[in-house]
Order: sequence, then C-alpha cells, then structure tokens
Amino acid sequence: MVSAIFIIVVGLGAAFALGLLKDSWRNGAFALTMAALAVMSWISISWLGALASGAAQPTDILTAGVQPPFAINLRVGLAEAGLLSVITLTGLLSALYLRDALMQQGRRSMAVLLIAIMALSGIVLTRDIFNLFVFFELMVISTGGLVLLSDDERAIGAGFKYLVVTQVISILLLVGIIFTYHAQGSLNIDDFAAQPLAAKGAGLAFFLLLMALVLELKPFPANGWALDIYESAHPGFSAIFSAASGTAAVYAADKVLATGGAEWLPLATFIGLFTFLASNILALRQDNDRRLLGYSSVAQIGLVLAVIGQRDILGDQFLYIAGGILIAHAVAKAGLFWISGVITRRELTAWTVLRLNPPLVVAFATFLAMLIGLPPFPGFYAKWELAHHLVAEGRVAVLVLILIGALIEAGYLFRWFGLAIKREAPVARPKYAPGKVLVIYAAALLGWYAGYRWGALSQYDNLLQAMPLMVALGFLLIEGLPARIKNVIAIAALCVWFWLSYGSFDPLQMIFGVIFMIGGAVIFLASFHETGRRLGFYPPAMLMYAGLAMLIVAESSFAFFAAWEVLTIGSYFLILRGKKSEPHALSYLMFSLGGAFAILLGFALAAGGTAPLAIADLAQVTGAVAPWVFVLLAIGFMTKTAAIGLHIWLPGAHAEAEADVSPMVSGVLLKAGLYGMFLLLMTMGRQHLFGVDLTYVLLWIGALSALLGNLMAIFQEDAKRLLAYSSIGQMGYALFGLAMMNHLGWLMALMFVINHYVYKSLLFLSVGGVAKRTGTRDMYRMGGLIKLMPLSFIAVLIGIITMSGVPPLSGFGGRWIFYNAIMTADARLPMVLVFLSGPIAFLYLFRLIHTIFLGQLKDEHRQLKDAPFWILLPQMIYVAFLLGFAVLPGMALRRVDAYIGEHFTEQGLSWEGLTITSEFGYWSPVQIMIVIGTIFTLLFLLLLALNHKAQWVKQFNIVYAAERPFRPETTHFAWNFFAPYRRALGFLLAPLVTRFWGAITNALHETAEFTRKLYTGNGQTYAVHVLVFVVVLYLVAGGIS
Amino acid sequence: MIRKFASVVLLLILGYAFYSLVAGFVPDGELNRSAAYYAENTARETGAQNIVTAIIVTYRGLDTLGEVTVLFLTAAIVAQVLSHSRAPAGTRGSGFLPAGELLETGTRLLVPLILLFGVYVFVNGHLTPGGGFQGGAILASAMLLLLLADPMRRFSHRLIAKVESISGLTYVALGVMGLVLAGGFLDNRILPLGQFGALFSAGAIPLIYSLIGLKVGAEFSSMLESLEETEDR
Amino acid sequence: MITIAMTTGFVLILIGLYGALTNTNILRMIVSFTIASTGVNVVLVSVGYMPGRTAPILDDAVPVGSATTSIIDPIPQALVLTAIVIGLGVTALMLAYAYRLFRIRQTLDISKIVELKW
Repeated sequence: MVSAIFIIVVGLGAAFALGLLKDSWRNGAFALTMAALAVMSWISISWLGALASGAAQPTDILTAGVQPPFAINLRVGLAEAGLLSVITLTGLLSALYLRDALMQQGRRSMAVLLIAIMALSGIVLTRDIFNLFVFFELMVISTGGLVLLSDDERAIGAGFKYLVVTQVISILLLVGIIFTYHAQGSLNIDDFAAQPLAAKGAGLAFFLLLMALVLELKPFPANGWALDIYESAHPGFSAIFSAASGTAAVYAADKVLATGGAEWLPLATFIGLFTFLASNILALRQDNDRRLLGYSSVAQIGLVLAVIGQRDILGDQFLYIAGGILIAHAVAKAGLFWISGVITRRELTAWTVLRLNPPLVVAFATFLAMLIGLPPFPGFYAKWELAHHLVAEGRVAVLVLILIGALIEAGYLFRWFGLAIKREAPVARPKYAPGKVLVIYAAALLGWYAGYRWGALSQYDNLLQAMPLMVALGFLLIEGLPARIKNVIAIAALCVWFWLSYGSFDPLQMIFGVIFMIGGAVIFLASFHETGRRLGFYPPAMLMYAGLAMLIVAESSFAFFAAWEVLTIGSYFLILRGKKSEPHALSYLMFSLGGAFAILLGFALAAGGTAPLAIADLAQVTGAVAPWVFVLLAIGFMTKTAAIGLHIWLPGAHAEAEADVSPMVSGVLLKAGLYGMFLLLMTMGRQHLFGVDLTYVLLWIGALSALLGNLMAIFQEDAKRLLAYSSIGQMGYALFGLAMMNHLGWLMALMFVINHYVYKSLLFLSVGGVAKRTGTRDMYRMGGLIKLMPLSFIAVLIGIITMSGVPPLSGFGGRWIFYNAIMTADARLPMVLVFLSGPIAFLYLFRLIHTIFLGQLKDEHRQLKDAPFWILLPQMIYVAFLLGFAVLPGMALRRVDAYIGEHFTEQGLSWEGLTITSEFGYWSPVQIMIVIGTIFTLLFLLLLALNHKAQWVKQFNIVYAAERPFRPETTHFAWNFFAPYRRALGFLLAPLVTRFWGAITNALHETAEFTRKLYTGNGQTYAVHVLVFVVVLYLVAGGIS
Repeated sequence: MIRKFASVVLLLILGYAFYSLVAGFVPDGELNRSAAYYAENTARETGAQNIVTAIIVTYRGLDTLGEVTVLFLTAAIVAQVLSHSRAPAGTRGSGFLPAGELLETGTRLLVPLILLFGVYVFVNGHLTPGGGFQGGAILASAMLLLLLADPMRRFSHRLIAKVESISGLTYVALGVMGLVLAGGFLDNRILPLGQFGALFSAGAIPLIYSLIGLKVGAEFSSMLESLEETEDR
Repeated sequence: MITIAMTTGFVLILIGLYGALTNTNILRMIVSFTIASTGVNVVLVSVGYMPGRTAPILDDAVPVGSATTSIIDPIPQALVLTAIVIGLGVTALMLAYAYRLFRIRQTLDISKIVELKW
C-alpha cells in the first residue's frame, strides 16, 4: 500500500515538474498531468478498497518523524479514503474533460489544477488545524486560477468576488485558530476532542473557527459569490468546485465540529436545513442551467451539514448516511455540470438537444435520480436510514423539513427533465467531443456502481440484485432492438415472473399479481401496434412493472418503500411520453413523491427506529403514534388512487398518455394504491385520532371522490379525460368499500379492483384506437362510427355495461355486493352520496356510445377503418373475459371471499353452484343473463315489428340554413351536452383543489423571486452578507464567550 | 449611506466579539506543552539553533511546503492572468523617463550586495533570525531594483521557471527522502545533524531553506516581471 | 503590553474591514484587506508573546537547558510567517484580477461589476 502522503507528493511534484517543460510541449504536459492525477486516484482507491474490505486499518501518517501534536500528521480512514477517491477521480475526469481549455492555456493552468486537487486531498487528510488553513488557502487561490479557464468574461468578476469573500473568511479563520491554539496549547484536531473548547472558555474562538469553515460550505444567504462562480466558470471546473471542493469543505467542517461536542450540533443542523430549504426554493426561479445547478449544489451541501448535525444520534451509521448523500451529490453534480458543458446555450430548454443522443438522456436521468435519492442510488438508502434514526430520537421536525426540501428539489429538477424531453428539439445532431461524452458516461457508471455498493452495504437485500429491477434495467441495454422484439421479451418477462412467483401468493396477492403481471402482459399486446424502435418506452414500462412485482411480494417496510419508489419513477417516465404530458407528468411525480415521503415517514414512525419493520408488524403498532402512522400511510396510498384533494394530477396524466400507456397507468398502476390500502387496513384496522374513527374519514373521502369524480367526468368533451375522471370516481368506490371495514365491503373493493382493471383498460384501448383513427379525442368531433368501427363499438358497449353496473355483466355483481355491504354499514350520509354517483356515472358512460358511435358521421371520417388489429386484440380478450366473469364470478372471488373471512367475524357470501347468497338475498348470474337476454330479444323483435315501415333518412337530406357559426362546435348537439346540469351542479366543481395546490406553488415561486434579489451581484454586498451571517448567528447563539 | 451605517453596526458587533476575546485573554505564564516540547527537544531532534526555523522547516514542514506552493501558484496564475491582457499597443515602457544616473549607478553597486545578503539570510536560517522566505524576498528586491533602474530590462522566463521548478522538485524529493531514510515526510535527519550551531548542521534544514530561498526569490521575480510586462507591447 | 498589541491588531482588522466594505474602488478594497491581514498578523504574534522572555533562538544567551523558562512561544511566530506569505499571495492574485477586470470593464468600481446576479 502506497502511503497516502504520495497523493500530495505526486500532485506537487508533477505541478513543479510542469515548469520544466517547454511551453510548446503541451501534449506532454497534459500527459504528465493526467498521469499524476491517475496515480493520485489509484492511491486513493486502493486505500478505499483495502479499508473497506478490512485488509488495512486506518493509518496515521507522521511527518518530520515526530509524534503529533508536535508535528503535523495526516490520517487515512475509511471516510478519508472515500472522499479522497471522490476528489481525485473528479479531478482526473475533469482534467480529461477540460483538455481543450488546458491545452489552450498551457502548462501553468495544468499545474494549478494539480495543486487544486492536491490541496483538496490535503484538507481531507490533515489533522492539524493550521495546516487545514494552508490547504484551504491553496484551494482558494487555485480556484481563483481555475475560474480563468472559462471563456465567459464574467468569470473574472465572479473570481474577484470570491477572493473578496475568502479574505473575510481567512480573517475569521486565523483569529479563530490562534485563540483556539492559545486555549489548547496545540493545533492538533484530535487534541481538541479530548478537551472541548467551550469548557475552556474558548467557545468564541471555536465559534469563529467553525463559522469560517461553514462559510466555505456556501451557506444561505452568504453564498452569492459561489452562485456567480457556478454560473460563469467552465463546467469542467464547476464539477470540481461542486463535487470535490464541496466534499472537502464538508469534511473539514465535520472534522472540527466533531471536536466541539454535542452542543454545537444544533447550530450545524439549523444552518444546514436553512440552506437546504432556502436554496431549493430559490432554484425554482432559475432558468440558467448552471446557476440552477449551483443552487442545487449549495442545497445538497446544506443537507449534508444538517446530517452532520445529527451525528450524535446516527452512531456507526453516520458514515453510511452522510457518505451516501455526499457521494450521490458529488457524482450527480459533476455529471450534470459535465453535461452542461456539451450544451451550447444556457436556458433550461436548450437541454432538449440531448434527445438526439439517447444515452445522454439516460445519464441525465441517472444524475437527477441520484440527487433526489431515488432507488437504487446511495441517497435512497441514506434517506431511509436517516429517517429511521431521526424518528427514533424524536427529531421528526428535522425529517419533515428535509423531506419538504427534497420534494421542492425534485420539483425543479424533474420540471427541467420534462422540458428537456418534451420541448421542441433542434434537428441537427451536434457533434460532441468524444472525450467529454466519455467522461459523462463514466460518471453515470460510477453512480450505478455506488448504488450497487451502497445496496451491498445496507442491511437489506441489494436492490440492484432484485431480479425484476435487473430485468427492467436490462431493457436499457437492448434499446437498440426493434420495438416488436422488445415487446415479445417484455410479455415473456411478465409471464415468466408470474409463473415463477405465483406459487407463494396468498389470494389477495394472487388477484393483484394477476392484474399486475398477466394484466400488464395483455396490455402489452396493444404495443405490438408500434413499429420502429420506440426508444424510451420499454425501460420505464418495465421499471414500473418491476416496482409492482416487488410491491406485492414485499414483506418488510423497506422492500415495500423501495418498490413504491421504483414504480413511481417508472410510471413517471412512462406518462411523460405523452404528447402534451409535460405538466401532468410533473404533477403526477410531485404528488407521488410527496406520497412516498409520507409513506417513509409513516413507516419510520411505525418502526420507532428499529428498521426493518415487517409489514405484518404494522398490526403491533399501538399508542399515540399509531393513528399518525395510519394517516401518513393512507395519504401516501391515496396519492396513487387519486382520492379527491390529491387527484389533480390524474386527468391530465391519464388522458395525455399514449394509447397503450393509458390502460397501463389507469388499469394497472392505480391498483398499487389500493393494494397499499388493503395492507394498511388489514394490519392496522380502525384507528382513532382526536376521537374520530379514521376509517370513517376514509369513508367520506371515498364517497366524495366517487361523487365528484363522476360529476367532473360528465362535463368532459375529451373522451380520454372523461375516462380519467371516471377513474377518480371508481377508486372512490373502492376506497369506500374498504373503509366500510366489513366483509362484503372488502369483497366489493376487490371486485372493483378486477372490474376496473378490465373495463378501464378496455375503454382506454378502444377510445385510444378511435382517437388514433380520427385524430382527435374530442367526442363532438366524432359520430356515427358504429358501422366503420364495429369491433370498437362492441368493446365500448360491453365496457360501459360492465362499468355502469347494470345487469347482466360483472359490474352488476360489484353493485350487488356493494348494496349488500352497505346494508350492514351505518354511515348513512356518505352512503347517499355513493348512491347518487351511480346514476351520474351512467350519464357520462352513455355519451361514449351516443356521441362517438351514434349520430352523424363526419365527412372527414368516411374512409376510416376499425382500430388496428393489435389494439383490438386485447379488447376482444377483455370482452371475452367480461362475459365469462359475468357468468362465473366465483372463479376469482370465492377464494378471496374465504381469505377475507379470516379477517372478519361476520358472514360472507355463500357460493353454491351458480348462485351466490347473502343474508339479504341471492344473485344468480346465469339466471340474470337469461332473463336479460330474453327481455332484450323480445323488445328488439317488438321494435322491429312496430317499425317495419321505417324509412332510412340519408345523412344530408337536411341542410343548415343561415351562417356558419364562428365556433362550429357550439352548434353540435353533443358539445356541452350536460349544460343544464352544469348550471345546476357546477358550483360543486369549482376547482378549489387545483387552486389550493396552485396557491402553494405560487407562494413558493413568489418567495423565490423576492428572495433572490438578495444576490445583487455586488461583491462587496456579498462580503456584507458573510459578516451578517456570522454576526447574526453570534447574536442568536447569545454572545458565545 | 445605508451601506456605511450597516457596516458600522456589523463591525461594532464584531468588535464586541473581538473585545470579549481580548478581555478574556490570559497570557500564558509558562510555555504550553507544544511550545515546551519544542524548547526542550528542538536542539536534540533537529540540531537547529533557531527554534522557529526548526518548526517551519521540519515540525510544520508540510505547512511550509504549502506556503511555497501558494507562491508558486500565485506566480503561475498572475503570469497567466496578465499574459492574457497586455496593455494596448503603443504604450510600451518607452514612455518612461530615464531612471537617472543615481539610481542606475546605485543599482550596479547594490545588486550584488543585496543578492549576497539574501543568500546569507537563507543559508543561516537555522542559526539566526531569517530564512528562506526572508532571503528569497531580499533576492527579489534586487530584481525590483534592476527593473526600477531599467524598466526595459527583461529576465529569462525560462531561467526563472527552471529555478522555480528544480528547487520545488528537489524540496519535494528531500521530503520523500525523509520518508524513506528517516522518520517521515520532510524529516530533516536525512543528513547528519552535525555540530550544533555550525553552518553545516541541523540536517537538511539549511538545504531546504536554501531551496525555499531560491524558489521564493524566483517566484517573486516572476510576479514582478509579469506585472512589469503589463506595460509591454 | 499584550493587550495593547492585541487591541491594535483587532482595531486594524476592523479598520481594514470597514474600508473593504465601504470603498467601492477595487484597489482601495485590496489595500483595506492588506491592512486587515496586517491586523491579523499582529494578533497572531501578540498571542505568542510572554512578558519578560526572549526570542526563541538557542544561542549563547539562551542555553538549551534553560530554554523552557526563557523563550517566548515560537509557534505563533512560525504561523505568522506562513500567514504573511499566504496573505501576500492572495493580494498579488487580487491585484492581477483587478488589472484584468480593468482591462475588460474599464472600471475599478466593484458596484458596477454586477452582470452576474440573482
């Protein structure tokens, strides 16, 4: 093992040696620089490997052959080795990335770069406080030099502002150091830990020392200079400034803070959280990519500082958590800055150019997911562990603030991703320097590798070894294949996975498993319609299915949460594919992530710090915390079922999605939320908060969702939007059934799970097929399609008969169970609401037939053919299934009925032959089928007989008189069809919820717009900010002595 | 106006903090343990008479290496910054008034003496007050004098860079030799400690301080020259 | 004696900072910062001073044996040398920056160099 001091020796030696080269030997100079950085990286990584595997022990390196504190010593432990690896690798890759700029500026700039990396390594290694100051100044000066690599002349101003601010910081640091020395008689950090300074009356000295180090972390609001550097510096250098400098500075603060004792930690927590939240809010208003990344960098470092503030409770997990966040930040931020360097313009929309180079989009998504802490990256594990530790020690407020900040960060980062994916891209594919692109890919791979390592280190199963996730990620590798081949593989993967795992399913899992896997496979049949390569479809789709597959087999809270996040990300990318999906996909993601954070908080509360918690053990949670766990988990699950209040993402997301994606996200994905609700109610049952039975609240939410969802649906002109709103209502029914907390209610909810999957997939596919042919989703633009699209007509007819719950199809079965169920419940008012929503559903469903397939055929539709074969095929499968399920509902429900019976004492249904009996009556599907069939036939014959003289009226034997109206649709009979109802009931539909969430978003944006005026751009003002920061904290801390 | 007022308020509070530092300051009655260690062991361990020098070159040698690097870095960056922005054409130093007889003659007399004095200061750093930094600065002042006497004079950049690099590399190499041959990086005992108080004593300290002197002198000269060249073209 | 030196140092720091915060001319700011760092250096040295003792050089006046009782603390002296050199480096860098800024912007007024903000 090579001593770590050689990192410093090699860096310095190479920097000095560069001076010996001729100015014209630039290639040689660059080769020497790269070689030195490679050696430095190699030393760091070999230490990391050896320390991580236990082959080496943490080592102190003495200088001058004298023991500390009399001479300076350096230390390499696991943390140091990890951070050194981050720093040196960032340096190596950035040097490669900066090749052109370095070659142009010559060997001096290369020497400066080498010294910068050496200095950052020194900051990490040293255990001497004054030596830390020396390395800090080296960092400052080399930063001043590297800022000049930029082509942007504004960088000079930014560099000067930086120097001004660091002068102030140095003054504080030196005064702090010398008085600390006076109190301790030593400059060695390890000596401070032995005798905390405050005890020796040197609290103020320590405070100044700490402030100086914290100021290097760019805390809000004393960080205007850093943002200016981020905005104007060369992105290759910004990567170093964010990833490597940030890492080193954080570690320096941590080193010193660790010696101060626990009483200083709240200060660090406060500064960190304040910075994290404020910077994330400010970033909302940024439209310059690099400045936005700057804000995000500042925020992330603030988060790490806040985590450092928790080190008293994190114990031996501290490194895992802080390291996870730090490494995720470093890799992601470096990667994003490197990407920004290949993009020529600075507005966020300029990133659309990445679309011409799909692997770069994958890298972009990887970096964003890392930053936000999505699985399977290190930040995810860190977030999970952190949440549990914080909750265990009662620091819920800290956790909530962190989660709010993370949500805001996810908001602006994914808004940016949405812009890049959806806005108009340039046509000409730009030529990227291969070296730069290579560096970006290397960072992305390192990110995945870090995710793998963190997974292996966690006490749980490594997510990157979970079979479903690996299969989904495997689709990234076969993106080059034609869509149809990938489709076959996707269907096979779903079927095989089901076949492998169904043996161990209980009946509940079986129902959901069939819907997720087999149901998913059936919908994939429609995807055969797509030709070409269909880039970016299969990886997210399979990611979503992987999440679903992992969800139903999850036994611990960790596995469940991981699966939940995986399916959320997958479905987000999938929804984003729709033509106008950009805002809807974002609002879907925001609600889902918010819900996921609620679930995280709920699980952490339930576990009380002793993760992992078996899902079944939710039943053991008692005491004051139990109802809160219930509330948080329920909110989390209801974001997915789009319960009223949390529903505003759904209509757009489902309606704008592609023809075969709508059934996936509606028919399949919504069920994930119901599955969660099932588990929750099964384990936790009735909980009371402030004396209110929470299931009663759920009952109301369900009833209101059913009523309002259906009501909103009837006023839609867009057929897919109509179906989307109706999903809100349908999920409301299911929630209502569950919340009744009785046997039949649950059975009905399950019936809805099955039925809703089938008819919503069916209807979305048929409407999607029609929309594909007609080129519009507005119903009043269609009409008379019954003869041209007979199969689609049959599908829609069967679909709406089932959905409206009239005999003879299986929807009636659902209704029948439902009516039986509410006979036993005693919540009258919500029941009335649910009753009301039944006929309302009929109002909009009938329009699907009436407006699309009946009425006048439009002139431009005369040549239409029925929907494409592959879109029709799954519809016909559903039709067949619905007919079969109508006759034999017992095939699915019988076993489930018995299974639910284990949870409730009251009587379920009795299944004898083809008749199903409850305590209130019986239902015999076959009889009903026969009766209805007979009545229908008789009526049909009667009508034929009565109308045998009927005359066919040609479509155009009447003409409009007078002028053509300005908006032709206003004269269409189907436009604004339910106007009278709108007049009567419209007040119920005032978009209060939309306004509520809109107001929150606006308030955040306004705050950002107002606050960022703080950064006037004047370097002197920034220096004032720094002093204000110190002085205010000095006063807040009550004049430390 | 507001800025001034705000600054005054801020500085008053900061001043109060400083005041409490001064008010709470109790001078040590005797040396603290680090200082006492140096007082007792410097002579034995390093063989240097000047304890400050022993601390700078050996005990805290890593700081000093960093310090030299700061100058190296600054010289490199200053050269880079200024090479990018020469003065507009036509303003070359030709516009200067002649330096005058007195200065020119004085320079001829003084420069060798100053150079000699600089060298004296850094080779005796382990014995008397002074050392590499001071000596280096003195060397550079000779350069300054030359430039003042003749603003048109140019020194060889390559020579300066070579001195700078070779002394830097040798310094690092000596440090590594300490790691290999003695107790650790920058240990001065790679050479015999010699007779206490003699010129050739204290192990590698005089050697290192001489290198520092050369390097500092070269770096200052390089900075002076870069600044001077802003008048060129 | 120590108090006077230390107070002087702190006053210099405050004067320097005041100058740096109120003068908009970049060169004046740089000068102000050098005043402040001089103040810091004075504070550094004054912390190591001990009344009635002599410089930490072991010559005939201070034999090795009695050094512990007769010399002042040598460490701040070593630190101050480093601090001076570093301060000088930063000052030189700031001057170079000031020159470059002036060449680009034709102004030395820091309140006019605000194209990066918000």
